[in-house]
Amino acid sequence: MSVYMEGVLAIMGINVLMAYSAYVIMATGQLSLGNAGFMAIGAYCAGYLTTVAGVDLLPAIAAGALLAGAVGVILGIPALRFQGFFLVLATLGFGEMVRAFFVNFEPTGGAYGMRGLFGAELHHIGFAVAVVTLLIWLLERSRIGRAFDAVAADEEAAACVGINVRLIKVLAFGLGAMIAGIAGGLYGHYLLYIEPGNFTFLFSAMAVLFVILGGMETVWGALLGAAIFSLLPEILRFMLNWRLSLFGGVLILLMIIRPRGLLTRQLLRNLIRPLARKTTNAA
Amino acid sequence: MIAQQIVNGLMLGSTYALIALGLTLVLGVFNKLNIAHGDVFMFGAFAGLACAAAGASFAVAILAGMAAAAIVNVLIERFCFHPLRNSHFLAPMLSTIAFGIMLQNVTTQIWGSDPSRFPNVEATAQLEFGGVLLSSVQIVILLVATALMAVIDVVIHHTAIGRALRATAIDREIAGTLGINTGKVILFTFLTAGALAGIAGVLTANVYSQITPHIGIRQGMIGMVAMVIGGLGNLRGAMLGGIAIGVVEILNDAYLGAAYRDLVVFSLFFGFLIMKPDGLIPQDRTLRA
Repeated sequence: MSVYMEGVLAIMGINVLMAYSAYVIMATGQLSLGNAGFMAIGAYCAGYLTTVAGVDLLPAIAAGALLAGAVGVILGIPALRFQGFFLVLATLGFGEMVRAFFVNFEPTGGAYGMRGLFGAELHHIGFAVAVVTLLIWLLERSRIGRAFDAVAADEEAAACVGINVRLIKVLAFGLGAMIAGIAGGLYGHYLLYIEPGNFTFLFSAMAVLFVILGGMETVWGALLGAAIFSLLPEILRFMLNWRLSLFGGVLILLMIIRPRGLLTRQLLRNLIRPLARKTTNAA
Repeated sequence: MIAQQIVNGLMLGSTYALIALGLTLVLGVFNKLNIAHGDVFMFGAFAGLACAAAGASFAVAILAGMAAAAIVNVLIERFCFHPLRNSHFLAPMLSTIAFGIMLQNVTTQIWGSDPSRFPNVEATAQLEFGGVLLSSVQIVILLVATALMAVIDVVIHHTAIGRALRATAIDREIAGTLGINTGKVILFTFLTAGALAGIAGVLTANVYSQITPHIGIRQGMIGMVAMVIGGLGNLRGAMLGGIAIGVVEILNDAYLGAAYRDLVVFSLFFGFLIMKPDGLIPQDRTLRA
């Protein structure tokens, strides 16, 4: 595989993880436009552990993910009070606050960033994507997953049937933050270098955009959205300097044509039903 | 010294206030957040700069910046807001992010990605008022921004179109039933919001003397910060919030150091959201009330 192709796939994997982190939070009817902040926490924590403390890559990334998850829980508690644009603005403000914090935090290099990270390869990222996909798939089929669905559909009704709505919403924030933390740890150790400028608002926004464009009803929507729209800028390379304009244009157009995303539950059912019929016929 | 800092803060803050005003108009009337508002500001700055570089006077540059930004803002309404008026509330907002990416790219292609300098269109004379130094550019900014804020306030609260706008903000459907041309209100709102961002862009570009196609990102965020601190959907709050942020930034640069600017501003923003989500001016003064 060429170095170029490998780089594209690695970034695609990171984007898929970020889309999952946005998806898990959105699955409870909340949303976060600050996931780049969790990603930064994961990346810096793991980077500090491997470069300064001499910890191995895997435990370092796990520690970064746990720290990001803990911060996610802490943000999830005040987020319970917000809805709509207040939640958008609060999470956006949180992401910017984290970025500004690392600009001034000297132990991790401040504005100059952190060097000397290494060890994450494409197959690590691929492995992480596979594991997280499986875990979310299992989660959606569990009691907790059904509670997520119920909270997203109607909080009051969910509370009436005995679901602890606040716990579920905070849990979703924690899980989403943890996935972003894993993405951050891998990203830093793949790029070999991190700086606060890597974790801008645009990263958080793209994660949510992947989910909306792919379809926010199923986890496959998040996967598809992140995969397609990380590749799109590469496919549009023939447009040379205008490719970002075309990229933006395609996003706006898709939003108009398929406002519920590319993959909806209905579409999945329609795709799977004929297959199921064929297998029963064969039997 | 402190008086000088506060005057500088007021000047910076008045440009933030103009950005926050446009964001608030759109949010207050249509319940839509335009994330590309900062990029509209940037586009206005570049259009004004192009005119000034071609030898036009400062006034013409301002008008060109306002017109360009107003047109772009109407395009945002056409392509990002109008077609998605019945979708999930996130969809139009995310669509504006895509529009912002486009606008930055288009600006880079037209005017280049190197920082551009604003030619000194006005000879900058220094004036002194009781120990406070003011350049002529600063005076122009303060006067223009203050006058615009006053005009907007009067138009919204005391004219027919202002009444129509407030009625649309309360309930768009009923306003339409009562004979208000909501299409006209939409056009008016987006033109005004864009023009305000455009003039803020030209004025800011003059002070900073250097602009890039990416300056809009931070300006748009600061606009949102100002909007929240003033009280979401509240025009006078947006003005107050903008000016407050300008003063805070300048005082921070003077006493704490510019490196801490974003940390201080966004911590303040986050703190306001958690402790005082209604902002400085309570909710009953919003456009909807």
